[in-house]
Amino acid sequence: MKKLLALVLALCLALGVASFAAADELPTFDQIVIGENTDLAAKIHFAYHRTDRKELLDSYVAKFNEIYPNIEVEYELITDYAENALLRIGNNDWTIMGIPTVDKDELSKYFISLGKLDTLNGLYNFMSNWAYEGEAYGLPSTGNANGILYNKRIFAEAGVTELPKTPAEFMDALRAVKEKTDAIPLYTNYAAGWTMGAWDAYIGVAATGRDTYMQQELPHAKDPFAKQADEGTGPYAVYKILYDAAAEGLIEEDYATTDWEGCKPMLNNGQIATMVLGSWAFTQMRDAEGGEHPEDVGYMAFPITVDGKQYAPAGPDYCFGINVQATDDEKLASLYYLKWLTHESGFAYSEGGVPIDKNGEYPDLYAAFDGIDMVADADALEGEATLLSELNSESELNINAGGNTKVQELVEHGFNHDKDFDDIMADWNEAWSEAQATLGVEVK
Amino acid sequence: MSMTRTIQPDLRRRKRINWQKVAVITLFAIVPLFLLILFTYVPFAKMIQFSFYNMSYTKNKGFVGLDNYLRVFTKSEYVDAMLLSLYYMAGAVVQLALALFFASILSLERIRGGGIYKAILFFPFLVNGIAIGYIFKYFYTRGFVLDSVLQAIGIPLESLPYWLRDQSVNNWSLVFTSVWKYCGQNMVLFIGAIASIDPTLYEAATIDGANRWQQFKAIILPGIKTVFMLNLILSITGSLSAFEPAYVVGSMGANGTATFFIKIHQMAHVSQKVGQACAMAMVLMGLILIFTVLQRLFFRYVMKDSENTFNAKANKAKALW
Repeated sequence: MKKLLALVLALCLALGVASFAAADELPTFDQIVIGENTDLAAKIHFAYHRTDRKELLDSYVAKFNEIYPNIEVEYELITDYAENALLRIGNNDWTIMGIPTVDKDELSKYFISLGKLDTLNGLYNFMSNWAYEGEAYGLPSTGNANGILYNKRIFAEAGVTELPKTPAEFMDALRAVKEKTDAIPLYTNYAAGWTMGAWDAYIGVAATGRDTYMQQELPHAKDPFAKQADEGTGPYAVYKILYDAAAEGLIEEDYATTDWEGCKPMLNNGQIATMVLGSWAFTQMRDAEGGEHPEDVGYMAFPITVDGKQYAPAGPDYCFGINVQATDDEKLASLYYLKWLTHESGFAYSEGGVPIDKNGEYPDLYAAFDGIDMVADADALEGEATLLSELNSESELNINAGGNTKVQELVEHGFNHDKDFDDIMADWNEAWSEAQATLGVEVK
Repeated sequence: MSMTRTIQPDLRRRKRINWQKVAVITLFAIVPLFLLILFTYVPFAKMIQFSFYNMSYTKNKGFVGLDNYLRVFTKSEYVDAMLLSLYYMAGAVVQLALALFFASILSLERIRGGGIYKAILFFPFLVNGIAIGYIFKYFYTRGFVLDSVLQAIGIPLESLPYWLRDQSVNNWSLVFTSVWKYCGQNMVLFIGAIASIDPTLYEAATIDGANRWQQFKAIILPGIKTVFMLNLILSITGSLSAFEPAYVVGSMGANGTATFFIKIHQMAHVSQKVGQACAMAMVLMGLILIFTVLQRLFFRYVMKDSENTFNAKANKAKALW
């Protein structure tokens, strides 16, 4: 029946009887073919957060209109996006928006389904991010991977010819940078706070090689911060890099007054050798105002090797959803535009992101990621969707959830030599165990 | 009959006037009262209620009695944060002394361009606290403003501390920003109070042969008692709930600068333990109340004597006049 319907639909589309066709059932995202149905007329109001990319987005609209001249796309770029989008999500004054933080069971209230998750997962990356009961509602704009920013010239000057793959090799590289160059080996961005919380992003996939670690294992783990049998892996190894770097004076001298905006050209110009941040930061450092050597900015995987293999945690940026209240023409037009954005615009590529189209091309910045698996965190187990956030709150460690102070303390204690690293990890383990006990979580 | 008839309109008029008055008062009072109750008393009552629960913004995990309060006093982290207030209290004392010093000089001596000095000293109070935060962040950065000035007067950079990084000085650095900001405001209040003292008293005292210090001690200090008390209470309670310097200059309370108020903020907004944060806020309020009462009691006894001497001296001066 469905096949027949799709056939009829395709026929109607080919005949250009769009209004009639759309009235019955919308095609799914994978069935959309750019170049069909070019007479379609509709207006799309696109709410989005990239206020810094207005010209680029407008140029996309112009190119899209060469194929679909009657679809009018109007971007509304919002500075305070996350909050604004949440307030307006139930309105009909937008057609496409980047999906803000909503509960997954509410997705169908606001957005149309783009198709079956199983089908779309085979074609596109990160589709399960906004999926519920087998239906996918959000199409990622671009993807981010987490690794380390580094300056290629400084690494070369320090004699680091091969990118470090283990914590020990990384520490050696930092020491070499300090010895042989004037650059700050590891810039912590301590004062900005969230830049420190960013270290939490590496304790899952990157440190363990398991996509289940973050959402499924960590909540039930006994003493997750303890030293692992394989010493160079696990959360312990991630945080130890930071602590040791601070203890050995391999970080910026006056960390209490670091300046986030000011650090961007510094990495670019070779005053900083490494910074631990997501790939989204790459274009910002490369294009930084006052930076004279964009070609020196490089990106490498986090230096932890699990059973001979390195992993990079990856995830989607904002995902696009189509308003369930829009007219059928508007919905169809939106599907065409999103399809065009994903396949033809090159947005993910130009933003230095992980491609959304599985056949898409990786930008140069991932040149060093050859042979490194990019893995997104697996979803929480059924019935445990909120368990990690509850444990985070109860333990006050707030892993990946604004727990910046605990990471800042690593720098302080490391630098001041007033508390051993193992003691800090023991404290965290204790906080985690207490929280597990309070919430009655089974510890495996 | 006729009597009642003549009286009745009177009564009615009086009654009508009363009713109007009541209506007007009610109408005018109802809006602010409604707002006051809605935005101050209801939330306050809710805060007391929340402080006995283990709850986040979206979930209430049940009644826990006094657990939240016990944790405030038993976890060393919170006690340490409370002790940070001592830095700010010490700063408050210095700040009041400085303000009083400037106010006395600017009031007693006829200084050319006195108005300009007042304006300069008061100006920091008018600047937005966040802006001040950013100014001082650069002020304290290694090799920036403060270090340059100190180097210019001959102190080598190596012997200077890192003003915000070194935990032995960073809280003092933060306290200084708060002194810098509020000193001018205290001074202006003191100048106002000093201006209300009868100037003939100084003349009389001068004739008596009293010097400036004696005049300050015997005339100004007792004369501005009320304003002094007010400034002191405001400064001390302000020290207990210090937030801005540590949040903006101290990078959100990093590096051992997290005051109790910042801990409350982190508890409520990062860890989302609303019940615990409410209990902490209640403890803070209790502390402020205790300090206010203690100060009042202290000064009731201390100031009584000086008030007597003040009155005696004033009478003596008047008699002389």
